[in-house]
Amino acid sequence: MKFKVHRDQFVQGVQHVAKSISQRTTIPILTGMKLEASAEGVTLTGSDSDISIEYFIPKEDEEHQYVEVFEEGSIVLQAKYFTEIVKKLPKETVEISVQDQFATTVMSGSAVFNLNGLDPEEYPRLPQVEEDKTFQIPKDLLKNLIRQTVFATSNAETRPILTGVHWQLNDEQLTCSATDSHRLAMRKAKINTNSSGLSFSNVVIPGKSLSELSKVLNDSDELVDVVVSENQILFKADHFLFFSRLLEGNYPATENMIPTEAKTSVILQSKRFLSAIERSMLLSEDNKNNVVNLKTIGNGMLEITSVTPEVGKATEEVTSEEMSGEDLRISFNGKNLIDALKVVDSEEVKIDFTGAMSPFVLKPTDHDHSLHLFSPVRTY
Amino acid sequence: MTWAELAEKQATVVQMLKNSILKERLAHAYLFEGKQGTKTDLMAFQLAKAFLCQKRGDDAEPCHTCEHCRRIDSGNHPDLHLIQAEGASIKVDQIRHLLKEFSYQGLESTRKVYIVEEADTMTNSAANSLLKFLEEPGGESLAILQTTKRHAILPTIQSRVQVLSFAPLPPESVIETLLEKGYSEVQARIASQIAADVEEAESLCSSDWIAQARSKVIQLVHEISKRPQRALLTVHEHWLPFFSERSSLQLGMDMLMLWYRDLLRVQIGQENQVVYTDCMDDLKNQALSQSQPTIRHKLTAIFDAKRRLDANSSPQLVMDQLLLKLQEG
Repeated sequence: MKFKVHRDQFVQGVQHVAKSISQRTTIPILTGMKLEASAEGVTLTGSDSDISIEYFIPKEDEEHQYVEVFEEGSIVLQAKYFTEIVKKLPKETVEISVQDQFATTVMSGSAVFNLNGLDPEEYPRLPQVEEDKTFQIPKDLLKNLIRQTVFATSNAETRPILTGVHWQLNDEQLTCSATDSHRLAMRKAKINTNSSGLSFSNVVIPGKSLSELSKVLNDSDELVDVVVSENQILFKADHFLFFSRLLEGNYPATENMIPTEAKTSVILQSKRFLSAIERSMLLSEDNKNNVVNLKTIGNGMLEITSVTPEVGKATEEVTSEEMSGEDLRISFNGKNLIDALKVVDSEEVKIDFTGAMSPFVLKPTDHDHSLHLFSPVRTY
Repeated sequence: MTWAELAEKQATVVQMLKNSILKERLAHAYLFEGKQGTKTDLMAFQLAKAFLCQKRGDDAEPCHTCEHCRRIDSGNHPDLHLIQAEGASIKVDQIRHLLKEFSYQGLESTRKVYIVEEADTMTNSAANSLLKFLEEPGGESLAILQTTKRHAILPTIQSRVQVLSFAPLPPESVIETLLEKGYSEVQARIASQIAADVEEAESLCSSDWIAQARSKVIQLVHEISKRPQRALLTVHEHWLPFFSERSSLQLGMDMLMLWYRDLLRVQIGQENQVVYTDCMDDLKNQALSQSQPTIRHKLTAIFDAKRRLDANSSPQLVMDQLLLKLQEG
């Protein structure tokens, strides 16, 4: 293998890919970065087995030529050293060539590095992209989907399947839901599919992978191609591919957990409600369960209280925009509610209660594609 | 390694595994149990290959040349996880990592394999956290646990895996091989007893370690019966400095045990099976002066001492205590 590449492009690619490489892995080859030169350009691949990132540097675009390939081939180089070397090279172009026994030379101007490479055949194979099972989604919508669901995933190892976000596609509607069994966040979105009638369910993507993905995507409304394969999911944007392994197992059925009727409904200004709960939680900073009590006191007023016996008590009254149904007294985990209110982008939210001991639903008033569900806390 | 090569020594196990593969009735978890040198590890890798190889032959033989087989050999297969003891034991964190890994689907296919080497060294908490997973494996996964000490595996684990016992090698065949290679009979006999396979026995014989160790054992048992007051000194001056490593001390204990077993053999008239053939006179003398229960008692004491060594007791204290017990009778 032998090619010459424009340094700035190369550094950008290497840094992108390096994000997915971890030095603490049980598979030795994954500490390396795979370089592959073909007639179309140079592909860089990194992986920590949970997520994999592939970056493609095209041979040329309209204005510039980036890569000159003399001989096709591939090699795996120790990422720890290689990324540092590439960042600090002196000249505009970098030349990389592989000799026998995977000995690799990295040259730029007068600087020469001879590196011992690894056998590219040993590198894990990433799934092939099947174009017919794709759908598109704008980057900013994807980032929103991630932001509004990942926070609700569980951190506990006891039920690994709950550490992921469940994606389901039906009739061009994508439903993402996440739960830690005390609360649930659900977000729906209309999307375009290439083939009509594309649908899938029980695709559970690790929350950590999604957070990583969100970090590498920039804010724009460009489209991202999403491909779901048997054991991985692939996101394809401009020059890079992002793969994540899926979680094993069956996601619990969440659809029928959501109550359809309400005994008490309240509409509140989300910002004001959020800060009221935050204030009431000030006393329960160290308190593990973060219990907040909520009570209707007539005239469309709500009273929020929180008691920490050793410290004291916080009380606040909140005016609702609208209230209907029976009187109510309920306790819940304030922290969960704060998490949810922080990702709600609407001015007003509607909360539907179905009694002190049953779950309640929080929805924005201006659209119905996002929903949060909370279990109350028993306090007596 | 091929099935045929492995079948030379472990025909039953190979046959069982091959049949299960061909009939697609592999269990979800196996425990390979066999003495040192019965090649449980090679069998585990062979089974992993047969499970993951995509060009497996009709005789259940993996191709050994495809990318899956090659990467299993080099330790780079992404869907094969190997758990080895870190230091003296397998820690709960290693099992946690494994559980996390197995809550994900495979990287390349939906099949995953994990091999736990020396499963007996799992700490209790590690073994317990593995339990639930052994019981409810997710997807198409295969667990292979490997051990030399089956009794040290929690019964709750044993009941959740299919145990395959590897046949120990018959010592006679080892002796023959060693004699053919020109080692003396006394050396060959003792090496065949304490070593697990021909290679190990040969490496023991080729250094003069075994000859020296043998003379230390003979010296010690001599002192115990003839000059009990000197025995303690012998242990401290000769025995402990020579068997300074824990593993070599274990071998020394094994050789000591062989001596007492020889005494029993002499008593019941199986003199052709004796290991210390050159000390027949000594053996006969000692056999006359001790009853069978006493000797059995002593053998138990040596077993106990060996177990204590495994449990990280101080070698010196273990030897002192053992010596007192051996002198009692």
